[in-house]
Amino acid sequence: QSLFVGEAGPNRGARAVALQWFADKAVELSDGQLEMDIQWGGALFKAGAALNGIADGVADLGTVISVYFPQEMVAYGIADLPIQNPDAWVGMKATDELMRGSESIKANLAEMNLVYLGTFTTSAVHIGCKGAAIRTVEDIKGLKVRGVGAYGDTFREFGANMVPMSIYDAYQGLDTGLIDCSQGYSYAMAALKQQEVIDSYTLLNWGQVGALGVLMNKDSFDALDAPVQEALLTAGEGMADKLGELITADNDKAIETMKAAGVEIIELPEAERAKLVETSKQFLDQWVERAGQAGLDGAALLDEYRGLIEKYEGIRDEQGYPWARG
Amino acid sequence: MLRRIEQLLLDLAVAAVIGLGVLITATVLLRVCFNSGVPDAIVMVRELMVAAIVLPLAVTTAQRAHIAVEFVSNHLSENGQKALVVLGSVAGLFALAPLIYAGWREAAHAMTSGGFFFGELMLPKWPGRVIFLIGMSFCWLRLLLMVVADFKAMWHGEPLAETAYGTEG
Amino acid sequence: MDGTLVGLCAFGAVILLLGLRVPIAFALAGVATVGTFVMFAFRTGAFAPERAVRPTTSLVFSNSFDLIHSYDLSMIPLFVALGHIAYRADITTKIYHAARVWLARIPGGVAIASVVGCGGFSAITGSSIACASTMGRICSPEMLRMGYDKRLATASVAAGGTLGSLIPPSVLFIIYGIFTETSISSLFLAGILPGLLSLLGFILVIYVWVLRDPSAAPRFTGIITTREKFAAALDAWPAIALFTIIVGGIYGGFFTATEAAAVCVSAAVAIGFAQGKLTVKALIEALRETCVQTTAIFLIAAGAKIFVAFIALTGVAGEIVQVVTDAQLSPFMLLAAIAAIYLLLGMFLDPIGIMVLTLPLMVPLVETYGFDLIWFGVVVIKLLEIGLITPPVGLNVFVIAGVVGKEVPIDRIFAGILRFLSVDVIVLILIMAFPIISLLIPGSM
Ligand code: NA
Ligand code: NA
Repeated sequence: QSLFVGEAGPNRGARAVALQWFADKAVELSDGQLEMDIQWGGALFKAGAALNGIADGVADLGTVISVYFPQEMVAYGIADLPIQNPDAWVGMKATDELMRGSESIKANLAEMNLVYLGTFTTSAVHIGCKGAAIRTVEDIKGLKVRGVGAYGDTFREFGANMVPMSIYDAYQGLDTGLIDCSQGYSYAMAALKQQEVIDSYTLLNWGQVGALGVLMNKDSFDALDAPVQEALLTAGEGMADKLGELITADNDKAIETMKAAGVEIIELPEAERAKLVETSKQFLDQWVERAGQAGLDGAALLDEYRGLIEKYEGIRDEQGYPWARG
Repeated sequence: MLRRIEQLLLDLAVAAVIGLGVLITATVLLRVCFNSGVPDAIVMVRELMVAAIVLPLAVTTAQRAHIAVEFVSNHLSENGQKALVVLGSVAGLFALAPLIYAGWREAAHAMTSGGFFFGELMLPKWPGRVIFLIGMSFCWLRLLLMVVADFKAMWHGEPLAETAYGTEG
Repeated sequence: MDGTLVGLCAFGAVILLLGLRVPIAFALAGVATVGTFVMFAFRTGAFAPERAVRPTTSLVFSNSFDLIHSYDLSMIPLFVALGHIAYRADITTKIYHAARVWLARIPGGVAIASVVGCGGFSAITGSSIACASTMGRICSPEMLRMGYDKRLATASVAAGGTLGSLIPPSVLFIIYGIFTETSISSLFLAGILPGLLSLLGFILVIYVWVLRDPSAAPRFTGIITTREKFAAALDAWPAIALFTIIVGGIYGGFFTATEAAAVCVSAAVAIGFAQGKLTVKALIEALRETCVQTTAIFLIAAGAKIFVAFIALTGVAGEIVQVVTDAQLSPFMLLAAIAAIYLLLGMFLDPIGIMVLTLPLMVPLVETYGFDLIWFGVVVIKLLEIGLITPPVGLNVFVIAGVVGKEVPIDRIFAGILRFLSVDVIVLILIMAFPIISLLIPGSM
């Protein structure tokens, strides 16, 4: 059985390696009953059409980025909220368990002809600036910032002027002074050579954009034999460990690259971070309301999610990351 | 009647292009002069793009402004050339039909599901999709009428009309 | 169903339909839709059409809608509008008059100026199609009005438009950089010399063309004083002002390339009204023409996008790369094979589509041969640029055909393109044979 996989991103970088690992693992676990044909770069559909593309069977499975579907993917959107959790692996494990375990989410997805397989993350949200440095939340006022999601909304609350722009245009935007700061993730900043144009990088340690992962067409999934379905689910669960390992290493390396390029690395003080968390609470409330409109108990999901984050933080602190356990 | 509707659609597209220019210019001026901006400007630009590009389709078709390669057809007899023009329009009917069917499904889905774009204003997804459906549908209708008219003209051995609007436009 | 077979049949069907004068957009979209339907219907081996309807319509819709539903591409209708408005406000005529009297001694001076203008414009927009649609509307009608050979007046701009992606900034280099994890800024620097070399090649083509056939570019024959020359240059101030606004605005950090289009249209409208040369009626008429032409261009681009998604389903592009990989060619033969593949795909598909389909397989292959990925990027972009002007599907040529209207048939433009293509091939060979042309600037930074 050959399955089409739609991915809007390139076949390079940590996410691509994790997706390829997932595909290989699923093939291996299915004893070669499966074949995976990954179409990179949005050859079949762009990120904005991924949900319908998969539900309609253009691809059997593929990467869905929730921010494009705030209505349909409201449950998954929990992983995009500014909940204080900068750890990529912990975030993915908590999200994965929530998505995999919750019956209401499962039913919600099934209604759209979708099945959840596994999750990714872009990792912790930080911010790089040129000609400016964010040491306190007061520094945000008046800056021209490229940012997305609830994080961008929070910067706006602190007086930033939000400039819409893709992360790929951020290099030139920072270079010419069109924007002062760009929200991003360490490995992506380094991959796009933004260390060449920023002179400070503030570690916010605030939250991540984690509501992206692999979903499958339910008809295609149901048509498979039970052991093959199991192979896909197991491989999907393993993605968190694989991507966690890759992205943690890449992020550390990226920070070193920035330091070597003379970028000042700033740790946002605890008291300042608390102000960010406090101000961003309203966006959590907004999400709970939207979840309610979709027939989900948002407050309960949020509590469950926070509990799961605590659980995996505990596991990490006691046993270390799975790839470091030897 | 149909012609009036098509001209109206074209003028709505003109309004959309003006909207694009004004909206983006305003974004730039607000940013440069007042360090502020227009909320969800990108989403609005995208929706306006659909209006600007798709609504004029019927007029473009009526003016026979679709681009084609005439390398071979120029060597044919007049009747052969006419036949190829009709063939091209028939091909258009076939090519656009799935788009209209899909557009109808998408528009209906967007309206019933209440999908919206992430942003400050949470703008709904249906307007662009409905505009797409309208533009494609009128284009298809115009193509159909042109096929009928061209076929009649061929039958009576008359030359094909320059545009679907006759000599006046 | 064998995807490769379906894919190859589709290429054949497109050629056939285009030959039968079927509008390009309908040929591409129609063949892709039927092909997609066939691929999905035979998904499980047996013929099951009922299962193909939903994925086929979904693929067709999302690929066409998403192309149009684009923020970045808003620069195309706006730049086309800029051309129309500038034409009606007399701005283009003035700059062309100035170019004509200043360059009267140079054979084909105005065509050369147009191509140089394309080079300058490409340094702004980053997109070949945007470059061709704007410069096409501005340059070609003026040259036609001066009595230039129709092939020269259109082909020079279609070819000049291909500089859009080689001279930085460039959308294609950004996508290549993302797919290869190479430095986008190095790629930009690497494109400069090959871009200028291509520009030089185009200038040479025009020069030789007009030298051999002076009637192709009637010269300004009247006697003109130095004073009149400067008056003509002074008269061209609105065009110079617009150019200054674009360049200063982008490099000064006031706006992005996409925003530049809107700002320029606003400025042109303001200048036109201030000079009393533009009326509300003329403005609306200009925008109506803009809409009809942009629509025709976008419909083709949407058809091409659907075609790319269909080709992705067939896997034919990957199949071709696989054949080359298995052949274990010598480095020289590999390079020749890669050029052949990109030129072949470039006959039908658009540059971004080709990159998305081939790079995931092609890059690992060239890496095993130890090729420099920056240099290879320049080679690929040059090949893709050539594809924009090769028949049967040459997007830049269609764009020019769209903006000049029925006055010049497409085959005349393609006829003119042939001369530019021959020089393009020489430039391409130089870039492939001497990597230093690409690597000199990024290496010295
Ligand atoms: Na460029
Ligand atoms: Na071509």
